[in-house]
Amino acid sequence: MSQVFDGYERQYCELSANLSKKCTTATILDGEQKKQKISEVKAGLDDADTLIRKMDLEARSLPPSVKASLLAKLREYKTDLNNLKTEVKRISSANSNQAARDELLESGMADAMMVAADQRGRLMMSTERLNKSSDRIRESRKVMLETEDLGVSILQDLHQQRQSLLHANNTLHGVDDNISRSKKILTNMSRRMSRNKWIIGSIIAALVIAIILILYFKLAH
Amino acid sequence: MGDQIARAEEFEKKAEKKLGGWGFFGSKHEDAADLFDKAANAYKLAKSWDQAGAVYVKLASCHLKLDSKHEAANAYADAAHCYKKTNIKESISCLEQSVNLFLEIGRLNMSARYYKEIAELHEQEQNLEQAIVYYERAADLFQSEDVNTTANQCRQKIAQFASQLEQYPKAIEIYEDIARQSLNNNLLKYGVKGHLLNAGICQLCKGDVVAINNALERYQELDPTFSGTREYRLLADLAAAIDDEDVAKFTDAVKEYDSMTQLDAWKTTLLLRVKEALKAKELEEDDLT
Repeated sequence: MSQVFDGYERQYCELSANLSKKCTTATILDGEQKKQKISEVKAGLDDADTLIRKMDLEARSLPPSVKASLLAKLREYKTDLNNLKTEVKRISSANSNQAARDELLESGMADAMMVAADQRGRLMMSTERLNKSSDRIRESRKVMLETEDLGVSILQDLHQQRQSLLHANNTLHGVDDNISRSKKILTNMSRRMSRNKWIIGSIIAALVIAIILILYFKLAH
Repeated sequence: MGDQIARAEEFEKKAEKKLGGWGFFGSKHEDAADLFDKAANAYKLAKSWDQAGAVYVKLASCHLKLDSKHEAANAYADAAHCYKKTNIKESISCLEQSVNLFLEIGRLNMSARYYKEIAELHEQEQNLEQAIVYYERAADLFQSEDVNTTANQCRQKIAQFASQLEQYPKAIEIYEDIARQSLNNNLLKYGVKGHLLNAGICQLCKGDVVAINNALERYQELDPTFSGTREYRLLADLAAAIDDEDVAKFTDAVKEYDSMTQLDAWKTTLLLRVKEALKAKELEEDDLT
C-alpha cells in the first residue's frame, strides 16, 4: 500500500524540485520566454496538485499508525506547494505589470521599431537625436547669456545703491554734527533766558524796595 | 471726488483772501501757504492735475516771498510732478525753476536729479538735442558730487543719443571712458564688454577701417579677456567684412550674433546704417567697373 504512496511521493518531490528550478529561471528571463516558463510552471503546479490529492486518498486508506506520519508529510508538501503557487503568482503579477508597461510604452514605438530594424533608419534616428540635443544646448546657451546680462544689470544697480548708501551715511554724519550744535545753542538760549528772568526779577525787587523806602521816609517826616 | 474739488476750491479762495487782505504781518503768507498746500492736496486726490499744478505754483511764489527758497523749490518740483501727467511743457518749465532755486541754495544733488528728470521728459518727447544738453548738465553735477554711477548712466544716455544724431567721436570717447572706469570696479567689470561693444559699433559707423583696427587692439590691451568674447569676434568679423566690402559676410556675422542674444533697437539702427553705407560703397564700385 505505502508503495503507491512512496511512488506518488517520489513523483511529487521530482516535480516540486523541477518547478522551483523553473521559477528561478523565469525570474531571470523576461518577455516571451518568461511567459512560456510561467505557463509551464502552472501546468506543473496542476500536476502537483493532483498528486497531492492522490497521496491524500492513499494515506487515508492506510492503517492509522502509518497514517499520522504520512499525513504530516503530506501537510509539509501542501505548504511547499502553496509557497510555490504564491511564488508563481508573484512572478506573474510582476510580469503582468512589466508586460502592461511594455505594451503602453512600446505601442507608440511599434512602427519605429519596425523601421529601425533597418540600418539607414537607425542612423537617421541618431542624427535626429543629435540635432535635437544640439538645439537644446543652443537654447540653454541663449538662456545663460540672458541671465548673464541680467546679472550685469543687477550688479550695476547694486553699485548705484552702494553709492547712495555711502552718501546717505555721510549726510547723516553731517546731520549729527548739526544737531549737537543746535542742542548747544538751545541750552545757551535757555540759560540766557533764565538769566534775564533773574535780572528782571531782581530789578523789579530793587525798584519796589526803593519805592517802599521813599514812601517810608516821606511818611516818616 | 466731487467734494474734494469743492473743498480744494474753498481752501484756495481762503488763501487768496488772506493774501489780498491785511492780516498779522508775519503770519499772512505762512497761513496762505498752508491753505494752498491743503488745496493742492485735495486737487491731487480729485485727480485734477492741472489745477493742482497751478496751486503748487502759487504756493511756490508764497514761499519765495517768505524767503524760504528750499520750500519754494520743493513746491515747484511738486507742481512739475502734477503737470507730468497732463502738460509736459509746463512740467519742464516748473522743473527748471526748481533746479535754479536748488542751485542757488547749493543742493547740487537734488538739482542734478531734477536735471535728469527734465532730460528724460525731453527724451519722451523725442527731443534728443535738448535731452543731450540736460543730460550733460546732470552728468557734470553728479560728477562733482562724486556720485559716479549715476553720472555714468547719464553719460551713457548722452552717448546713445549722440550716436543716433551721428556725433560719433563724442560717443566713442564716452563709451571708452566708461569702460576704463568700470574696469577697476569689482561690481562693474562684467559690464565692460558691453561698453566696448558699443564703442566698437560707433567706430564702425564712422567708417574708418584703420581706426577700427587700432581701436580693437586698444580694447584688447585695456581688457585682456575681451578677445575671448563673442562681442570681440563680432567686431572683428564686421571689420573684416568692411575691409572686403562684402555685404553677405557682414549680414552673416550679424545674424550669428543675433541668434545668441537679441540685438536691441539702438544697435540695430546703427548696424543698419553701416550696412547701408557698405552697400552704397559696393554699388559705387560696381558703377565704376
